[in-house]
Amino acid sequence: MEQAAPDLERPLQPAPLEPLGHPDAGPEAAVGEEAEGAPDEEGPGDRTMTENNFCLKKIEISVSEAEKRTGRNAMNMQETYTAYLVETRSVEHIDGPSVLTDSLWRRYSEFELLRNYLLVYYPHIVVPPLPEKRAEFVWHKLSADNMDPDFVERRRIGLENFLLRVASHPILCRDKIFYLFLTQEGNWKEIVNETGFQLKADSRLKALNATFRVKNPDKRFTELKHYSDELQSVISHLLRVRARVADRLYGVYKVHGNYGRVFSEWSAIEKEMGDGLQSAGHHMDVYASSIDDILEDEEHYADQLKEYLFYAEALRAVCRKHELMQYDLEMAAQDLASKKQQCEELATGTVRTFSLKGMTTKLFGQETPEQRESRIKVLEEQISEGEQQLKAKNLEGREFVKNAWADIERFKEQKNRDLKEALISYAVMQISMCKKGIQVWTNAKECFSKM
Amino acid sequence: MSGGLPKALPSTGPHSLRDMPHPLAGSSSEEAVGGDSTPSPDLLTARSFGDKDLILPNGGTPAGTSSPASSSSLLNRLQLDDDIDGETRDLFVTVDDPKKHVCTMETYITYRITTKSTRVEFDLPEYSVRRRYQDFDWLRSKLEESQPTHLIPPLPEKFVVKGVVDRFSEEFVETRRKALDKFLKRITDHPVLSFNEHFNVFLTAKDLNAYKKQGMALLSRVGESVKHVTGGYKLRSRPLEFAAIGEYLDTFALKLGTIDRIAQRIIKEEIEYLVELREYGPVYSTWSALEGELAEPLEGVSACIGNCSTALEELTDDMTEDFLPVLREYILYSDSMKSVLKKRDQVQAEYEAKLEAVALRKEDRPKVPSDVEKCQDRMECFNADLKADMERWQNNKRQDFRQLLMGMADKNIQYYEKCLMAWESIIPLLQEKQEAK
Repeated sequence: MEQAAPDLERPLQPAPLEPLGHPDAGPEAAVGEEAEGAPDEEGPGDRTMTENNFCLKKIEISVSEAEKRTGRNAMNMQETYTAYLVETRSVEHIDGPSVLTDSLWRRYSEFELLRNYLLVYYPHIVVPPLPEKRAEFVWHKLSADNMDPDFVERRRIGLENFLLRVASHPILCRDKIFYLFLTQEGNWKEIVNETGFQLKADSRLKALNATFRVKNPDKRFTELKHYSDELQSVISHLLRVRARVADRLYGVYKVHGNYGRVFSEWSAIEKEMGDGLQSAGHHMDVYASSIDDILEDEEHYADQLKEYLFYAEALRAVCRKHELMQYDLEMAAQDLASKKQQCEELATGTVRTFSLKGMTTKLFGQETPEQRESRIKVLEEQISEGEQQLKAKNLEGREFVKNAWADIERFKEQKNRDLKEALISYAVMQISMCKKGIQVWTNAKECFSKM
Repeated sequence: MSGGLPKALPSTGPHSLRDMPHPLAGSSSEEAVGGDSTPSPDLLTARSFGDKDLILPNGGTPAGTSSPASSSSLLNRLQLDDDIDGETRDLFVTVDDPKKHVCTMETYITYRITTKSTRVEFDLPEYSVRRRYQDFDWLRSKLEESQPTHLIPPLPEKFVVKGVVDRFSEEFVETRRKALDKFLKRITDHPVLSFNEHFNVFLTAKDLNAYKKQGMALLSRVGESVKHVTGGYKLRSRPLEFAAIGEYLDTFALKLGTIDRIAQRIIKEEIEYLVELREYGPVYSTWSALEGELAEPLEGVSACIGNCSTALEELTDDMTEDFLPVLREYILYSDSMKSVLKKRDQVQAEYEAKLEAVALRKEDRPKVPSDVEKCQDRMECFNADLKADMERWQNNKRQDFRQLLMGMADKNIQYYEKCLMAWESIIPLLQEKQEAK
């Protein structure tokens, strides 16, 4: 994978971060998902060599706590929000103890700021997504309230996952703003804003315009955009139905709990049947309460799917950037072509294209040869400049396509790995649920047999 | 069809139930139906009782001589119920082969009733007849009429009230067939009911309808006595054991009703779960079509969910067809038992009232008038029959529910086993290293 080419448009690009540690050693994942380190793109491909070249220190990142806070917002109104504790540890030796190097509090909006910044400065990278802002795809037991402890907990895990993804990305992990996010609590927001990244962001209108008007985008990006649209649609559907499935399953298990009570009441009037009924009823209670843990585990699966739902959006962003650049290029080429033509017409005296000057000349009389000469000269200068710009844009465009596609390949591998793991863990959950079911009903059957 | 030599009850005057020796206590067990052992001396005088129906106040002639209401029931009980299960079983009845008949006026189903028996009451060793639900209904009414002191097993529900159940669907017909089979088997197992004349005709007659019409005239005089026990007598005190039975049946029916509702609710929730699953599985398929390396794993998950859906459907079908109907039968059973208990109360009340009337007359008659004696005997027979039937019912109930609930557990185990197999089989598929497509 190649280093991103310097972007001509941003003179204020912060210096790439010197890595604290080997970027692809991969910070310890506190969450189940392993973010495998991608191969280092700077040094030689061999990991051992690189490890000797850089510091032996590894870094661990965790979002370990969440706390409710109250404060004043921009309009000086009181608000309640949740703050998350971000801790960074460095590991001296492999398998050695970790030392806490940095610890600070961040709220969700700061994570958002970081991500928006990364989106602007690394448009060719599929930037890892944040966990959802508001709870969606809830089934009835889960609260859709942002302050709900379960939601906050799952968000904490999601934020940690986000940081781990960024830290294990070979390019993103070197970013200075990211480094400061982890290490400098105060003043960080100001530093980010000082980069002026908001100004550099492409306007939505511009992007939309480009999407409709671009003539020759790279086919792979068109296909990829189509794929990300479909992926988003199918995962949304999946999550919606899964939530309904969870709801129904909950109902099935819970109603069985009623057997417990009625068997107990019935056993009171029976002689020989009583004991069997009573103990079977107990097993029905166990069965009914087992669903809570089962569905909690399944939420983790849903979260894994959600991450890729949001990743689809990041994929689309890269495609859009390509379309924008391509459109820009096409416009520049078109402009250059028209200027060349104008120049030619002026030089040869033929008017093939309509121009205001041509019109006024016809109406008000020919221009003098001197006037014509000066115009040709201006045009020739513009053409020369335009050709240079076009060359640069072309180069830029090709670099973008190359780098973006490299990251997309990296992303595809990651996606396939992660989703396979997710499916396996889902299957394992189902197996566990079936085994529990067999156990409970076997116990109940034994009680019934003693009736 | 020979009648048994019914053994009459010793009747030496008004006795409370508790003072009476238990009919089964110390009685000679070799007294079998049609047996020729010598009855004990003091019974000889009461012999005349036996030929007539004990419980006929107006002394009508029984239509048949086999098993008049309660006296022969004593005899049959002396046979020892245990004999019936096992080697000395001499009557086998099966219901099968449902067939649809389409006529101009109506469409209906008949079932084949096959009877095999060595009993003398049957002219042939084997019979095969066709009967429809109506006929079963008729049989049950007749049994209730002619054997009012016994507990008659319930029939499956006559009308299908709930939902859009198709009367002619395979599942419905099969469920009904099983219930009708159970009904006849319960009668077959009963030492008194199995000898009932109507039952015999039901099993053997070529043309049941003719018998039904003929029977109407004759039977109007018979067996009505207990049904039309002059009501309006107030019961002084119900014997504890019957009060207990009544309370038990009340609570029992209540609990069964609750279980029925729970079971129905579970099935409903399971069906709704199934609906969602049927949408859930295919989404993985749709996703699979978008992917390269993930295509097979996703398709595998989709198929797996499909298998689980099928297993769930089988579970809900089984529960609907096998579990719920049996529950409902028992609720109906306990309802009909309650009405028999009420009749018993009436018989006792009548006896007590008559007794009181006699006591008030203050005549110095040493002997109790015969009609009061009849009342007492009627009551005592009723009590004895009912007690015996209750005991039998309790045993059968225990067996039936043991089987029913074990069956329910089994079905659930099988469901989970099917799902387990499905999920375990795709683990290797998911873990497989795929070639990039």
